[in-house]
Amino acid sequence: MDSVLKITGKIIDALGNFCSLLMVLMIMNVFYDVIMRYFFNDVSIGMQELEWHLFAAMFMFGIAYTMKEDAHVRVDVFYDTLSANKQAWVNIFGSLVFALPITLVIFYYSCDYTFDAYQMGEGSADPGGLPHRWLVRSVIPIASFFLVLAIIHVLLVQVKILSTPAHSETGAQ
Amino acid sequence: DDDKKYRWRLAETWGPNFPIFGDTTKNMAKMVKEMSNGRLTIRIDSSNKHKSALGIFDFVKSGQYQMGHSASYYWKGKDFNTMFFTTVPFGMIASEQHAWFYYGGGMELMKKVYDQYGILSYPGGNTGNQMGGWFKKEINSLEDLKGLKMRIPGFAGEVLAKLGAKPTNIPSGELYTALERNTIDALEWVGPSLDLRMGFHKIAPYYYTGWHEPGTELQFMINEKAYNTLPKDLQKILTVAMKAAAYDMYAQSMHVSGVNLATLKKDYPNVKMRSFPKSVMNALKKTNDELLAEFAAKDPMTAEILKSLNDYKKQIRAWTNLSDRAYLDNFDEK
Amino acid sequence: MTGIVLFAIALVCLFLGYSVAFTFAGVSLIVGTIVLGADLFAFMPYRIMSIMENTILMAVPMFIFMGIVLQKTGLAERLLESSAKLFGGISGGVAVSTIIVGALLAASTGVVGASVVAMGVISLPVMLKNNYHQPTAAGVICASGTLGQIIPPSIILIILGDVMGVPVGDLFRAAVIPGMMLVIFYIVYILILGKFKPELMPPLVVTESKRELLVQALKDIVPPLVLILAVLGSIFAGIATPTESAAIGAVGAVILSICYGSFSFSKMHEVSKETVKVTSMVFAVLIGATAFSMVFSYSGSEYLIEDFFMGLPGGKWTFIIFAMLAILILGFFIDFIEIAFLVVPILLPVAIALDINLVWFAILISMNLQTSFLTPPFGFSLFYLKGVAPKSMKTTTIYKGVIPFILMQIMVLLLVIFFPEHLIIS
Ligand code: NA
Ligand code: NA
Repeated sequence: MDSVLKITGKIIDALGNFCSLLMVLMIMNVFYDVIMRYFFNDVSIGMQELEWHLFAAMFMFGIAYTMKEDAHVRVDVFYDTLSANKQAWVNIFGSLVFALPITLVIFYYSCDYTFDAYQMGEGSADPGGLPHRWLVRSVIPIASFFLVLAIIHVLLVQVKILSTPAHSETGAQ
Repeated sequence: DDDKKYRWRLAETWGPNFPIFGDTTKNMAKMVKEMSNGRLTIRIDSSNKHKSALGIFDFVKSGQYQMGHSASYYWKGKDFNTMFFTTVPFGMIASEQHAWFYYGGGMELMKKVYDQYGILSYPGGNTGNQMGGWFKKEINSLEDLKGLKMRIPGFAGEVLAKLGAKPTNIPSGELYTALERNTIDALEWVGPSLDLRMGFHKIAPYYYTGWHEPGTELQFMINEKAYNTLPKDLQKILTVAMKAAAYDMYAQSMHVSGVNLATLKKDYPNVKMRSFPKSVMNALKKTNDELLAEFAAKDPMTAEILKSLNDYKKQIRAWTNLSDRAYLDNFDEK
Repeated sequence: MTGIVLFAIALVCLFLGYSVAFTFAGVSLIVGTIVLGADLFAFMPYRIMSIMENTILMAVPMFIFMGIVLQKTGLAERLLESSAKLFGGISGGVAVSTIIVGALLAASTGVVGASVVAMGVISLPVMLKNNYHQPTAAGVICASGTLGQIIPPSIILIILGDVMGVPVGDLFRAAVIPGMMLVIFYIVYILILGKFKPELMPPLVVTESKRELLVQALKDIVPPLVLILAVLGSIFAGIATPTESAAIGAVGAVILSICYGSFSFSKMHEVSKETVKVTSMVFAVLIGATAFSMVFSYSGSEYLIEDFFMGLPGGKWTFIIFAMLAILILGFFIDFIEIAFLVVPILLPVAIALDINLVWFAILISMNLQTSFLTPPFGFSLFYLKGVAPKSMKTTTIYKGVIPFILMQIMVLLLVIFFPEHLIIS
C-alpha cells in the first residue's frame, strides 16, 4: 500500500507543480496583454483567450492537488472534536458517498461534451481567436481523472490511519 | 392519441426578463399552449437556469432541451456556414431578408446546413437594422480606424481587423467601465431598443449608424427527433407560433427603438448621431467582400449560400430602391 | 419541496465535517438523481465551463497571489504594523488598517472570494500574532473582505443592473456613499470596542520616537500603498479593466519583494503552490454550489419562492420591509446570484407598480445580499476565511465574530431605507 501511496502522491505533487506553472504563466499572460494594449496599442484576441484557458486548467487540475493536501474547506464544528479514527471514517464516508460519485458522473458526461467539440472542429468565433475548443473542454474530464486518483490517495491515507494502533490525540492527518 | 400531453423545454441565450428577445419566447410558448388547448406546453429556461448562454446549440443537438432560442451566427466557431442565417455585413435589410428566407431559398439552405446536426432551424425575430456602435472619438477617415480598440465580436470584427482596428474581448459586465475609462475606444451592442439600459449614452459622445448587422434575425431551434414525436397538428401549431412570435418581435423592436430614440434625443441632446464617411464605408465593404470570397473559395457550401444571398440581394434591392428608398427620399418628414 | 429537503440534508451533512465543496456536490447528486434522474447531471460540464470561461473570476487567483506574496515576504506584516503604530498605538490599530486595506481592495475588485482570501492571508496572521481576540479578528476580515460586494465595481450591482434594466453606472454611483458608510461604521465600532475592551485587540508597543516612526512608516507603508494605488490607478486611467488590474497587483507585488530583497525563486514556487491550493478551494466551492443550485432550480423550487413573494402584502413600506426580511432570510441559505435571478424578477413588477425608485431598491437589495455572504451557516465569506485560517481557528469562532458586523450592515441598510435622499446620488 505504501508504494501505491508513494506513486499517487508523486503524480499529484507533479500536477501541483504544473498548476503553479500555469498560474505564473496566466499572470504573465494578462500582464503582457495589458502592456501591449496600453503602450503598443496592440490587441490579440487569441492571447486574451489564452488567459482564461490557463486560468481554467490551473484551478481545475488544482482541485485534485488541493484534495491531496487536505486544503478543501470544512465546517469543523463537530469534526474537530472527533478522534483521528473517527475523522478518518468521516473522510472515507465523504470520499465514497460524496466526492467519488459526482467526480465519476462529471467525468462521464464531460467526455461526450469534449468529443462533441472535437467532432465539430469547434473553435473561437471571434477574430484571431483560438482554434480547437475541445482542448479546453478536455480539461474537465482530465481534471476529473486526476481527482479520482486524489480521492483514491486520500482513501488509502485514511485506511492507513485506521490500521495503525489507536491514536489518543485528535486532529491528526 | 389526441389527448397525450407534451411538456417541452426551451433554453434561451438571454437572461430572465430580457426585454424583446425574452418576450418573443414567452409569446411563442403562450400561443402554442392556447392553440393546442394545453396539449403542448413549453417551459422557458433563461440563462440563469442553464448557465450556458452559448450552449443552446449543444443542448438542442443532444436533446437535453427540445427547443432553443438564440442567434445562428453564435455558432460560427462550430460551423462557419451557420453565420449567414442571422445577418451579413452590407447584406439585406429585414424585409428583404424575410423574402429571401421564405421565398428566395433561404429556408432550404438553412435546412441543408442544420440537417447534419439533427436540428431544425427557423427565423426567431428580427432586431431591425443595428447601430454601428458607441464611439469616444469621431471617425473621419480610414486612418481613424487604425489601432481603434473596439469590442466587436464575430465576423464584423474580422473585417475591422483587416483595416487595422483592434477587436478586443471585454466581458459584458466590464464594458461600461472599459468604455468610460478609455480602455477601449468603441463598442457595438444592438440599437436604441437595448442600448439605453446599458448606459453607454452617458459616456460616449458618438453614436454611429450601422453597416455590419443590417437585419439581425434571431433563431428558434428544435431537436429533430423530438419534433418527429409530435402529432402533425402540434407540429403545425408550433411552426405557426414561431413565425408569428418572430414577426411580432420585429414589430416590437421597431416600436421600442422609436420610443427609446426619442428619449435619447430629448434627455441626452449632446449625443451626436453620425455615419461613417463614404471612404470608410467603401473600404469596409471592399474588405468584407474579399473576406467572404476567401471563405467561399474554401467550402462549396459557403459558396452556394453566398451566391444565393448576393443574387437575391441584387434582385430585391432594385425593388427596395424603387419603392422604399425612393419614397423616403422623395417624401421624408425629417 | 425538493428544495427544502435538499437544504436540510446539505445542512446536516455539512456539519459532518467533510469538505464543503464535495458535500454540496455529493448531496446534490444524490437528491438530484432520486428526484430528477441522473441525466440532469449532463448539464454539469456546461456549468463548469461557464465558471472556467468567466473571465471576471480570473481576478480571484491574481489577487490571492498578490496577497500571498505580500504575506510570505513580510511586506504585509510591516505595512499593517507600521500603519497601526502610526495610529499612535491605540488598541485596534491593526484592525483599522485591515478595514482600510479591505476597502481599497474592494474598490478594485467585485469578487468577494478574492478579497476575503487575500485579506485572510495578509492580515489574519498579523492580528493573531498580536494576540487579537480570534472572533473579532475573523469578523473584521470577513466584513472588510465582503465590502467588494457593495463598493464599486461590484458583481452584484452588475447583475442587478442587468436583471432590473437599470444602467450599471447609475448603480455604481449610488453605491459609493452606502459603501463608505459601512467602512466608517466598522472603523468607529473597532475604535469604540478598543476603548472599552482593549484586551480584545491589544495596541502595538510603540518604542520608536515619532521621527523614527515616520521614517519606518514611510519605508513600510508607501510601497504597498503604491501597489494598491497602481491597481486602482490602472483602472481609473483606463490602462486595465478591473479584472486585469489584479495582474498589475500580482506583478507589482513581485517587483516590491525584489526591491525589498526578499525575493527568491523557491519562495515564488511556494507562493504559487499556495495560490493554486487556495484558488482551487474557492472554485471547488463554486462548482459544488452550482450543482446545488442546479438541483434546486430544476426541481422547481423557484416556484415555491415565487408563491411566497406573490403572497407578500401590498403598500410601499410593508412591501419593502417584507421583501428585505425575506431576502435576508433566504440569504442564510442561498447564494446571492440565485437570489438576484430568482427573487428580483418577482419583486421587480411590484416595485415598479408601487413607483419605487429602482436605483434605490437595487442598492437595498445589494446591501442585503452582501450580508448573505456573512450569515451562518451558508456564508461564502465564512467558508473562504476558514479555508485560509490556521487549523486552530474554529468555524464557530468565525460565526461568532461576524455577528456585530451583520448588525452594523442592517443598521446601514435601515439608514439607506429611511434617508435615501441623503445617501444615494443618482
Ligand atoms: Na468592489
Ligand atoms: Na449566508
